[in-house]
Amino acid sequence: MNQLSKPRRLIRRLLRVFSYGCIASAIAVAVYGVWLYERIETRFSGQRWQLPSKIYSDVTLLYPGLSINRRLLLDQLARLEYRAVKQKPERSGEMRAGETRIDLFLHALKTPDRERAAFPVVIHLDRDRIASIRRSDNGEALSLLEIEPEEIDLFFGPEREKRRLVSIDQVPPHLIQAVLTAEDNRYFSHHGIDFRGILRAAFANLRHGEIRQGGSTITQQLAKNYFLTPERTFTRKLRELMIALILELRYDKRTILEIYFNEIYLGQKGSISVNGVGEASWFYFGKPVEELSLPEAATIAALIRGPNAYSPYLNPERCERRRRHLLDKMYEETVIGKTEWQAAREAAVEPVGYEVFAKRAPYFVDFLSQQLTELYSPEALASLGLSIYTTLDAQLQQAAEAALTNGLERLEKDRPELTADGGSRLQGAVVVLQPRSGAVLAMVGGRDYGESQFNRVTQARRQAGSTFKPFVYLSGLDQLSPISVLPNTPATYTVDGKDWQPRNFSETHRRAYRLREALAQSINRSTVHLAMAVGVDQIVDTAAAFGFSTPLPPYPSLALGAVDVIPIELARAYGVFAAGGIQAEPLTIRDVLGGEGEPLERRDIQLKHVLPPAKAYLMTSLLESVIQEGTGKGVRSWGIRFPVAGKTGTTNNYRDAWFVGYTPDLLMLVWVGFDDGASIGASGAQAALPIWAELARAVPHRFAGLEFVAPPGIVRKSVCLRDTEGASIWPCQEIREEVFLEGKVPDDAGILPGAGALIQRLLKGLTGEKEKR
Amino acid sequence: MVVRVPSGGKTLPPQPPPAETEVPRSQPPQLHASAELTRKGQTLLDQGRVDAAIREFERAVSLNPNNGQGYYHLARAWMVKGDFRQADSFHQLAEIHLQDEPGWASRLKAQKADIQKGLDR
Repeated sequence: MNQLSKPRRLIRRLLRVFSYGCIASAIAVAVYGVWLYERIETRFSGQRWQLPSKIYSDVTLLYPGLSINRRLLLDQLARLEYRAVKQKPERSGEMRAGETRIDLFLHALKTPDRERAAFPVVIHLDRDRIASIRRSDNGEALSLLEIEPEEIDLFFGPEREKRRLVSIDQVPPHLIQAVLTAEDNRYFSHHGIDFRGILRAAFANLRHGEIRQGGSTITQQLAKNYFLTPERTFTRKLRELMIALILELRYDKRTILEIYFNEIYLGQKGSISVNGVGEASWFYFGKPVEELSLPEAATIAALIRGPNAYSPYLNPERCERRRRHLLDKMYEETVIGKTEWQAAREAAVEPVGYEVFAKRAPYFVDFLSQQLTELYSPEALASLGLSIYTTLDAQLQQAAEAALTNGLERLEKDRPELTADGGSRLQGAVVVLQPRSGAVLAMVGGRDYGESQFNRVTQARRQAGSTFKPFVYLSGLDQLSPISVLPNTPATYTVDGKDWQPRNFSETHRRAYRLREALAQSINRSTVHLAMAVGVDQIVDTAAAFGFSTPLPPYPSLALGAVDVIPIELARAYGVFAAGGIQAEPLTIRDVLGGEGEPLERRDIQLKHVLPPAKAYLMTSLLESVIQEGTGKGVRSWGIRFPVAGKTGTTNNYRDAWFVGYTPDLLMLVWVGFDDGASIGASGAQAALPIWAELARAVPHRFAGLEFVAPPGIVRKSVCLRDTEGASIWPCQEIREEVFLEGKVPDDAGILPGAGALIQRLLKGLTGEKEKR
Repeated sequence: MVVRVPSGGKTLPPQPPPAETEVPRSQPPQLHASAELTRKGQTLLDQGRVDAAIREFERAVSLNPNNGQGYYHLARAWMVKGDFRQADSFHQLAEIHLQDEPGWASRLKAQKADIQKGLDR
């Protein structure tokens, strides 16, 4: 009786196996469900997206009376996504530029220390000068106008996704309705899976014999995009369904919708994907999502099915058809009324246009990144959505890039040998600093970042040549004055057992030069005589105070700049002369804000005393002579009339060409050369100075034409400049007002009190004595 | 109105009214804009918003590097923050650019003395 027949035993065994299988599967599904739940919880409870950190330029200030470079300003406004309109601008981000006025409806401004709503202004121009700035809504005259910082780079993660997060409350109802109509019109009725939708899609696809509709709900799409890879397999579909159910179980409908609106892929801007309606709204229509009209909202909703296939940029006609189709559907489903439908259907929808994302100021960004990585890891920069506000002047940067390119091309045109086949490419570098703040306003580390990322401003070590001479002259200022006489006689120095005879760049028959003249004309022999009289060790000590990180070899040739320097350090050193003896650390970062706009980091000007102000001024005065009557007088031929101090530099065999020039406002350094040290066959005055001058002319907004101000401790005195050849019996050849350090005003023979020993040593130079070292 | 110095609770004397930063109309426009930023900075400093004030003064001296009052107030702001070394550096620049300004000699002298006290502390 208890013996079952064989078939029944088999059936019972099969049933048992099946039951165990079902239980095991249920347990597996439950465990997997718990695991998925945990995963969803982890992803959604923390930071939901990897938000790239953004780097911004500085704010641009405009004010009445300011001279501008109209092209640079308009280019900047275009990069800030101000779109040209024919009529008077009526919406934020619109601009109309004419001959005598620029009408601008400003974007809202939000910086670490400013918040301002959008408003319209008219900037009246008198040729290239701002005549007045007025609000065009209430006529108020503005004495200062701030143009928002420019986004110059983004720290992307591997996904290269760009999004602007929006809350569901910011999304206008017609965009929500359009998206639901397009993708999931029963969204508020189902629980993550819409069986009716699946059946309807299957029927429609069968009817047309092709895949015309998808049955995925918005929750499923979110599950697929956010958690899963794009392959089409049965197990992946099952996982998608489970995730959708868990999402619906865990979150309310509006939260899911908000995540969806921020997650969804909506197009491509070069190599960067545009994600979320917040970013798409700016990408396609140049405005925040709150301001989207119904036809614009329908365009964005229509994109979801195929962001590139229906892109208004790539396929405007298909985009138009799909938008109209969606509007028709919205009308059929009574989501919108007849009037709205008709108006939206007929409305022209024009995308604003875009610039393919390109690194701007890439060398500057690299330099900045080095400093940033001391504060944040690369992962944090690629995900935390920080806002990094910098010192960069976007207009100046553009002008510096153009001036360098033009200058190098001019040289290559004049000297075809510079482009010889097989040789490396002529290179150059430009850095612009504000001497008193250290703010780095522009940096071009090479002529083509795509070709070479080596930053010649911050990484190159190049011989300084004559740009080092000011540190030699500075060392002598305690015992000599601008009118002191320096010999120009040939001399031989023994250095490490070898003879060395310094020669002048161009020979003259003069036996001596006055100190001011010797520096202005960059006379090598006089400089070496001075160096030997002062002592090379003293020069090394003087220069070391300026913070050069490269070694300063204590040889006589140091006087002529036989020393490697890093260009930005040379610029910083000259900044001391410009800033009244104070050295400002190069500053690139101003503020770092967190993802929610909270302040995280702030950098202020950091100053260090290096020189007494009077000595710094005296050096500036000497370096002004370089421009007025010396090797830098080419600056004047470019039509630059404001006060400039500076120094040219050329190294042996024309390997390096330099020009460092400054005003009280700005210091700009230009270097030209080959990376491999080949000769460029041109001096600093020929190769680097024109780049400096072109740049100075291109940025009138940066030069106020101010005079250098003499500090306390400077004395002015009219002096009689007799022939330097020693013919003191002749009457004055020139009476000149000269500047002296207080207490160091020379007597009528030009000799300072207490300078006897140094003068004796210098006189040795007149006899051509051989010195050993 | 007094501005409190955090370290030691020292107070700074009331500052002259903003109108003093006016510059003649014949001068370069940068000077006017710089003077306006200096005024804004003074207002912020008087409100105790020292960091925001420093930003305004920094901008002011960026536009006009000869703006002695901008440096003077930067020095003042850094004293409020208790960084007397920074204050001294800016004060040095203020001395250069305010040497010929009538009425500033005594103020500069007093500020220099305050900075020195801070440095000696």
